Amino acid sequence: MSKAEESADVAASVAEQPFIGQRLPRKEDRRFVIGKGRFTDDISVPGMLHAAFVRSPHAHARIRSIDTEAALKLPGVVAVITGRELAEFTSPFVCQQEGAAPMEMDALPVDKARFAGDPVACVVAVDRYVAEDGVDLVEVDWDALPPVLDMHHASDPGVPLVDEKIPSNLHTRETHRYGDIDGAFARADRVVKAEFRSQRLTHVPIETRSVVATWDEGREELTYYGAAQTAHILRTTLADRLGLSENQVRVVSPDVGGGFGLKLPLFREEFTVAAMAMRLKRPIKWVEDRLENLTASNHARDDAVSVEVAVLNDGTVLGVRANLWADFGAYAFYPPSYIINVIGWLLLGAYKIDNYEYTVNVAITNKCPAGTLRAPMAIVTWASDGMMHRVAEELGLDPFELRRKNMLSLDDQPYQSAPGYPYEALTLREGFDETLAKFDIDAFRREQADAAEKGRLIGVGIASVVEPTTYGSAWYKASGDDGSGHEAATVKLEPTGAINVTAGIVGTGQGYETSLAQVVADALGSSPANVDVRLGDTYIAPYGMGSRGSRGAAAGHGVAYLAAMDLREKVLGIGAHLLQRPAESLKIVNDEVVTRSDVGVSVPVREIARIAYNDPTSLPDGMLPGLEAHRTYDPPFMTFSNATHLCQVEVDAETGGVTIVKYRVHEDAGTLINPMIVDGQVHGGVSMGIGQVLLEETRYDEQGMNVSATLADYLMPTMDTVPMIEVEHLETPNPNTPQGIKGMAEGPVQGAVASVALAVQDAVARSGGRLEQLPFTPSRLLGVLRASRSG
Amino acid sequence: MTAPKPRTIQVTVNGETITASVPDRKLLCDFLREDLSLTGTHVGCEHGVCGACTVLVEGRPARSCLMLAVQADGRAITTIEGVSGPDGSLHPVQRAFHEQHALQCGFCTPGFIISTIAYLEERDPSAGPVSEDEVREHLSGTLCRCTGYTNIVRAVCQAAAELSES
Repeated sequence: MSKAEESADVAASVAEQPFIGQRLPRKEDRRFVIGKGRFTDDISVPGMLHAAFVRSPHAHARIRSIDTEAALKLPGVVAVITGRELAEFTSPFVCQQEGAAPMEMDALPVDKARFAGDPVACVVAVDRYVAEDGVDLVEVDWDALPPVLDMHHASDPGVPLVDEKIPSNLHTRETHRYGDIDGAFARADRVVKAEFRSQRLTHVPIETRSVVATWDEGREELTYYGAAQTAHILRTTLADRLGLSENQVRVVSPDVGGGFGLKLPLFREEFTVAAMAMRLKRPIKWVEDRLENLTASNHARDDAVSVEVAVLNDGTVLGVRANLWADFGAYAFYPPSYIINVIGWLLLGAYKIDNYEYTVNVAITNKCPAGTLRAPMAIVTWASDGMMHRVAEELGLDPFELRRKNMLSLDDQPYQSAPGYPYEALTLREGFDETLAKFDIDAFRREQADAAEKGRLIGVGIASVVEPTTYGSAWYKASGDDGSGHEAATVKLEPTGAINVTAGIVGTGQGYETSLAQVVADALGSSPANVDVRLGDTYIAPYGMGSRGSRGAAAGHGVAYLAAMDLREKVLGIGAHLLQRPAESLKIVNDEVVTRSDVGVSVPVREIARIAYNDPTSLPDGMLPGLEAHRTYDPPFMTFSNATHLCQVEVDAETGGVTIVKYRVHEDAGTLINPMIVDGQVHGGVSMGIGQVLLEETRYDEQGMNVSATLADYLMPTMDTVPMIEVEHLETPNPNTPQGIKGMAEGPVQGAVASVALAVQDAVARSGGRLEQLPFTPSRLLGVLRASRSG
Repeated sequence: MTAPKPRTIQVTVNGETITASVPDRKLLCDFLREDLSLTGTHVGCEHGVCGACTVLVEGRPARSCLMLAVQADGRAITTIEGVSGPDGSLHPVQRAFHEQHALQCGFCTPGFIISTIAYLEERDPSAGPVSEDEVREHLSGTLCRCTGYTNIVRAVCQAAAELSES
């Protein structure tokens, strides 16, 4: 069977299942709409203390001494601890990156603060008000150093080292080459250059970071309640750094008020709180305030892409040479090259280009450390589509025709991208064509010309998104980073027929309690109402790799489906024994095992469950009691989804304000488990991309002070800046995953960054404006328009 | 620094009259969450921008992070826990948020539901059906990072239509 036939086969079998593919309202909603969700800050433990942190007012400063005496005298303050004291009983985090210097991070800094907001001491008190009073009484004697704030000059002579244990502030410089790049440039009629630069952003989940840590003195066991996208990996790290055995630590991630890639690593504040709970033998809570969240959690997106494109005059792209830069901030919670490398291997986007070279440069600076914000590679689609528009512009060709000519279609697949990634069942050109069929670009160009006559600036942008979704363990091996992409699930049919499911993924708003119930209900012939899903508690859930990237669907739901299918086999085996029919002739429908042919011959699953637990001697010979299945699943090297985004904007020539007039998405995420939830993921991702292009920006002044430290300064998208987003689906199953699931969640950010940026560029192009630096704020747009008018 | 002095206040919360002793500096949101265990009111920014902590004070929306508990003395407060019917039935706004998939992580949801209820109750019924633009104007002071607002606008329109019929 060909891959295309396999895809069609999967699609046909999915269509027969009652719940996969249904827009089922979410099971978890009720508790949230009545105010009975249980988030970390909602947890109170008797005797609980509260922590607050002393933070550096300098971007870069040596700690001469810390005087905690006055704080300790304040009634209600229980303890004050510094990095030096913590280092006596905790281990540092060491971030390894193949071919580069490892970077170490203490529980709290011992000798030096590396960014404004760096935590240097922790005050523990009877309530948070008193803890914050105590923070004001801690005296730190600082020796301020010159801050390193410009990634491009971080390793210039005379610039001090941010991390004195590594040889250079330029932590990573490496080049990757594919094909014959020199030959491509030698053959080119022309070389086109383009730049795409993003601003620094941050995650802003509405629930900030938070933790409650308790130490059970009797069992000698730490329980860590905290919003964590990867509960098990956090447990491993906690145990390791606290000198505990992994069976002495329980991590519970309760309801999480948004993650977006922030709530992944073990942060220093959380680690300090856990260490102090052990030391004081008292429960401790810490809830970050918004100032801390905006200045000292994780930042992202401080990166830049510059490309040179070797082309023939007919629009054929022969090769691309790219130089990528990232400002990684002061500490490494992740291997510094990891995120910028994703931009590197994805930069050719939807286009068939054989010869490619990219260089990554990562600088360590005196800014808040960088992390993984939903779609860490967010600017990549803007760069890949944007460079094709620049090529078209220089060659005087139609950009959409030029893109189409170089774009991958289903006929080209399976296809291996120049950096070696397998593209399969992606409808890039198909989605592009469908989008253009529904949007009359010629009519729009006429409207645009008419509008220009009247001084109005309108534009359209179309983005072709390639979204990497599920990273298999083979990918981790190839990348040189430690880790795995497998996932685990346990499905239990209880004696009454009720079904319990757990897995290693951890929800942060994705509706897993509903979508996992849908796939398990289909496998076991039950209904989602009969399936309960519990995630995020390492006592209950099997060891998995958590929720990051867009792995939840293919890895997390794929493995739950496979576990449920294993259990189905046992249920049918018992049914066959009871009904005296071959198992192959049976199926499960509405919680009853029935035969495919004979009406009226059936046995309820509940009766099978009763026998499995309470009457095991009636089971088939040799079959073990109970009804539970556990299994793991390792997805392919990499799976991808794709989408086409169309955005139409108007730029106000007087104010520089941008209004989004139309936003449309053609998404192809393969088999959809719950299209309603997928639509929601598209809406949220697009909103975040709009924020990146038009609004959000983390800013530092020349001393390295964060000057975007409130939500009045850091502008998130509001209800009146995001338009209604139209979503349509193509469903081309991936032939290599359970049920043909591909997953999605980050692509909508990529698509919005690209389509909004290209639309605004299209609107100002007629007046000669060139936009290379996000965000496109009113003042920046007015500047560009003025410059092009006067130039 | 002197220890903050407690003061006795009397507030009516979700119809129940409560007498409590609170320090002057305690925020209303902390009083509701910590002293009354009404944790449905969420704290998102503590500077009055995100709207997650919105409650009704004498029927009008207020940011409980910008108000001290002592300022609520003698007043009636409604939180998300007081919105459903006595039999546990959902308010039309709560139901609309569920049916339109207007929540993902659910953290901003109580503030949105309270703000929506206040908006729809204060609205002049003779003004005709609500439009999407009107909803966006009235509720743009509450932030959501998950949904992109598309389904929240739909939910508010659905609830408005339902409430105007009843």
